[in-house]
Amino acid sequence: MFESIEGVKSGLEEQSYVCDRRVATVVFLATRLNKPILVEGPAGVGKTELSKALSGALGRELIRLQCYEGLDEAKALYEWEYGKQLLYTQVLREKIGELLGPTEDLHQAAETLRGQEDVFFSENFLVERPILKALRSETPPVLLLDEIDRADEEFEAFLLEFLSDYQVSIPEIGTVKAESPPTVILTSNRTRELSEALKRRCLHLQLDYPTQEAELQIVRLKAPGIAEELAEELVTTIQSLRELDLRKAPSISETLDWAQSLVVLNAENLSRELIEETISVIIKYDRDAEKALAHLGVNAQNSSGIGQRQPTGENPEEGMYEMHRSTHKHAH
Amino acid sequence: MDTVINDFVHVLRRHRLRVSPAESLDALAALKHTGLSEREAVRDALRTTLVKSPEDVETFERLFDVYFGLHPQQEERKAGLKVPDHDHDHGTPAEMEFGEEAGGEAPDSEEHSHEDADSTEFRRHFDDERMRPSDDIHGESDKMRLSLFSQELILNRKPGALDQALQRLTHQLKMRRARNMFSPGDLVPDTGGQELPLDVSAAEMDELVDHLHELEVDEELIRQLEEQSDDILRQLPKLIEKMKERQQELEKPEDDSALRRRSLRKLLNFSTAEQRELEAAVRRMARQIHGARTRRLKQDRTGRISVRHTIRNNARYEGIPFQPVLRRHREQKPRLVLLCDVSLSTRNLSRFWLHMVYQLQSLFSKVRTFVFVADTAEVTQLFDDHGIEHAVDEIFSGRILDADVNSDFGKAAEQFVAESLPTINHRTTVVILGDGRNNGKPPNVEALEEISRHARQLIWITPEQRWFWSLGASDMPLYEPLCDRVEVVRTAEQLASVAEELVTSRV
Repeated sequence: MFESIEGVKSGLEEQSYVCDRRVATVVFLATRLNKPILVEGPAGVGKTELSKALSGALGRELIRLQCYEGLDEAKALYEWEYGKQLLYTQVLREKIGELLGPTEDLHQAAETLRGQEDVFFSENFLVERPILKALRSETPPVLLLDEIDRADEEFEAFLLEFLSDYQVSIPEIGTVKAESPPTVILTSNRTRELSEALKRRCLHLQLDYPTQEAELQIVRLKAPGIAEELAEELVTTIQSLRELDLRKAPSISETLDWAQSLVVLNAENLSRELIEETISVIIKYDRDAEKALAHLGVNAQNSSGIGQRQPTGENPEEGMYEMHRSTHKHAH
Repeated sequence: MDTVINDFVHVLRRHRLRVSPAESLDALAALKHTGLSEREAVRDALRTTLVKSPEDVETFERLFDVYFGLHPQQEERKAGLKVPDHDHDHGTPAEMEFGEEAGGEAPDSEEHSHEDADSTEFRRHFDDERMRPSDDIHGESDKMRLSLFSQELILNRKPGALDQALQRLTHQLKMRRARNMFSPGDLVPDTGGQELPLDVSAAEMDELVDHLHELEVDEELIRQLEEQSDDILRQLPKLIEKMKERQQELEKPEDDSALRRRSLRKLLNFSTAEQRELEAAVRRMARQIHGARTRRLKQDRTGRISVRHTIRNNARYEGIPFQPVLRRHREQKPRLVLLCDVSLSTRNLSRFWLHMVYQLQSLFSKVRTFVFVADTAEVTQLFDDHGIEHAVDEIFSGRILDADVNSDFGKAAEQFVAESLPTINHRTTVVILGDGRNNGKPPNVEALEEISRHARQLIWITPEQRWFWSLGASDMPLYEPLCDRVEVVRTAEQLASVAEELVTSRV
């Protein structure tokens, strides 16, 4: 358990998750108040990553439930093993005959049978799904309900009992309550608005694209092989691309993909050709790619063409100078 | 502290943030853990517990800054405060606040001020405009605010100061009451003066005095304040008169036709900024529709066999599936059908409305749009295929239907019923935009009745005021009883608010 907000921050950083105080405060409060966190934000800003880092920092198991349209409690909570139940009924038929043999009348037989009926609706036949697993786990895990906005409204309503009291009611067995409540993280891409009731039960955390410094820190952490200058250049480029009106702005995960591919390509500098070749890593739509290239192309031309005059690498100042200028350009 | 949080929550609610009591309790619980010594931690704690939607964050941030005193140039002010001439200002402000809070109610800021009231230094300190935003995030903030206000009343005996205070008060109230749908909470541009809630300000004065009584401060102070407030109240009639005059002046020159022309012109020429606002409004509306389209399987007479449910249901037959359980996807999203009059008389409004519809259409899966003059044509596809500008041009170009004849809703409705009635079912809301003028042609009430019977809800939006209906050849009086609602809409804002209702009432 975390001692302070600072503790959360350093704990997450140990898991190579860079976060600001805002995030740390929310996580701290969530662990203290035993409340679920609802993380919203565009795709690829580290919503899912947060729960992974949190489970790492707390040293707890991460149970993940990916939500989708049509998800229901049979897949999220529990399901009876009907096949097994049937099999048992068949196999135990004789045994039941024996059991009911000595009974005098039908009434008594039914009574005897009733005494045995939880054989068939016991936890033995229960298939645990993520939520039930999280509730019954001995050490409270971190439960991630990923992309809750994809599930439908009924499922949201179904979650309410779980989220407020950390318990679920199973009609045949009764209420299952968590001994110690799990840490729950819900993520949403805001493809739709979640219900007020759900939001009310959660702490809300809005994640957005990081600042330049934070992103640089992330790149350094997650793509260790990257040259310092290249990292800076890359982050500046990404940041400037985000300001364009793109259908899908490059997110942190794209930045990291790009950084890693540049490392693989042994790139030292972000030349124009290199950008053209690798743009597909960060831009996912054709029209966006055109826009982005136009944006970057103009920059390259203005800064006397990064691509045409490749730095030889022998003269460190040359490279530095170019880097500096292009950074300057991108910053506009 | 809880009163402060409650009060802050009230302020948030007034700015259309939805905060439930449970959430304010959470906020309190959260503050216990974060402590109050750190402003940003308090802000984060309140934000995460009270604000649940990204649109509201901005409002929250602004209100937090206003309510909890510190302005963005907080560093400067802190530096200013450290000037050692304030005897009760020891240490850093943050420490002081924490200390006070920890000590409970003890050092009431009210008493502070009174004790020191005769110290000229102190007076200077409060006259100083710099000092107005109280530098506290600790629990006493509302008292502090109040005390500053009362001090201002009492200490500043200069003529005109009261007027100023009153003005500030009303301004504050105005800000709170602002119901501008595009930017909730922003100061309403000072248009008519009709927003000035003078009655409320009087009530607020009383409340202030009451509040002071509750605080058990010095009787003398209260008496003084009461005198002052009486003064203010005495001046009210004069002020009201002044404002009435202004209001009359503002309203005088317009006869209705001019107003109408103007508002319609406004509709036509909305700027890009306005369009952006509009789009934002529509997007916000869309979010307020709860729930995604559900794809959940429901039991039904047709559909696919659900093994799970079949086995379960047939357990009583020893697992032999006598009764298969069939399930299929059922859609539960409200549908919208729009019928838009694009004849000359309502063209400007239609153009605007089509923009609105376009936004809706790109947000929802089931919005069907029809336009009519004398014939009806569906333009849903047109919106999908082309951008909005192109689609609107296309509609008005006359290629889709003859847009220059006289509008004839009767005929259009008949055509609609004949061709497109199956698109309407009990989940559909039909919105008709038109002026209900058939130019002497038969009104064809039956067709509308047919539509009304099939639809879940029928809403008519007309640009004409009710009293115009009796003039000329308007058939609105005939149509009105068949509609669930008739809205008279003449400005963009009104239209937007109708649309918002339409969406939020979950039709």
